[in-house]
Amino acid sequence: MSSESPEAEWHTISVRIPFANAKHAAIAKQVIEVDHELNPDAVKRVLTVEDEFLVATFSTLTVRLARLVLNAFLENVDLVVRTISEFGEEAERVSPP
Amino acid sequence: MPGRLRKNPLKKPERPYLALGLEGSANKLGAGIIKHDVDGSTSVLSNVRHTYITPPGEGFLPRDTAQHHREWALKVINDAVKKAGISMHDLDCICFTKGPGMGAPLQSVALVARTLSLLFNKPLVGVNHCVGHIEMGRNITGARNPVVLYVSGGNTQVIAYSRQCYRIFGETLDIAVGNCLDRFARVINLSNDPSPGQNIEEEAKKGRRLLPLPYTTKGMDISLSGILTSVEALTLDKRFRADGKPRGPDDQDYFTPADLCFSLQETVFAMLVEITERAMAHIGSKEVLIVGGVGCNERLQGMMGIMAKERSGQIFATDER
Repeated sequence: MSSESPEAEWHTISVRIPFANAKHAAIAKQVIEVDHELNPDAVKRVLTVEDEFLVATFSTLTVRLARLVLNAFLENVDLVVRTISEFGEEAERVSPP
Repeated sequence: MPGRLRKNPLKKPERPYLALGLEGSANKLGAGIIKHDVDGSTSVLSNVRHTYITPPGEGFLPRDTAQHHREWALKVINDAVKKAGISMHDLDCICFTKGPGMGAPLQSVALVARTLSLLFNKPLVGVNHCVGHIEMGRNITGARNPVVLYVSGGNTQVIAYSRQCYRIFGETLDIAVGNCLDRFARVINLSNDPSPGQNIEEEAKKGRRLLPLPYTTKGMDISLSGILTSVEALTLDKRFRADGKPRGPDDQDYFTPADLCFSLQETVFAMLVEITERAMAHIGSKEVLIVGGVGCNERLQGMMGIMAKERSGQIFATDER
């Protein structure tokens, strides 16, 4: 491995997750971004919002890490999406004063 | 001086405040709504819980526990809000357990708390697990300045409040008392439903024989792992009868799982009472507050009550399991 850019040989995955609207995508980004990746030396994560899409890009040292990190991320997205679908409507219905 | 009572420095709220609390630091998931009224009183409007119960002989693992919390969180929160008879918009803040606890379950609950906070635009308050236990206990029982014995599956501490801080007087040097009891429940294959500690307590009531176990208080601290090893070793003793019955009419010298539960409880609780009493003598407080999962144990409450009475003090404990 060359010492100049060790990340050149890393594995990269990018996922685009559609949400109902840009606000929900932004919420998901804010919620998930708070928790750091457990292995910062071997995992780089970039979360961005493009319109109503949450775009996550992971670079990992090993393929195994890529699988684990993506799996954990999708589980978190699932929980956030379920929370939004459960309470999102109610949150919209009566806007707080 | 820590024994002195001070006036509450917080001013009373101008209107009733409602808070939603979310907790999931171990295998129990809970959501509750509490109301702080204008007269300074607090009342619990709802308190909904769901516990992840593993089969006998198995403990709960972080991954599976987190999975359970993810599945149940929304239902438990909905139930809590419905039971309190309010809407999510009425809330003033959303509180969640920040730690310490098991990482994965904590993270699951924190995710839900953060999502709700952003959806409804409510402030988010992270609560220290231990302080949460103590404040909740103080609120329910009305104890004012107690010595706190915090005994649960993950913590064993004797705590007192001094100079704006909870200070730890003594604690376990290795495993927590709840962990010790739960693991022994696993050794003798007791059920985890509703909780291993409760089943140990029931079993101990049938115990007749007190077996000698190590008694390991070290100053203000205690050590429990050695006791667990000794009591585990006793289950391999040739006098141990796993079915609880003598082998024949001549079989006199034997002991049962119930005897072991009894001996374990008596020894461990005696140690806890000893360090609590020492802390009381230190700070000159006459109140003891027992919080945490093991605090529900009536035998522990009873033993602590005897000690407190002898010092003409008082004990406060939470009964709800």
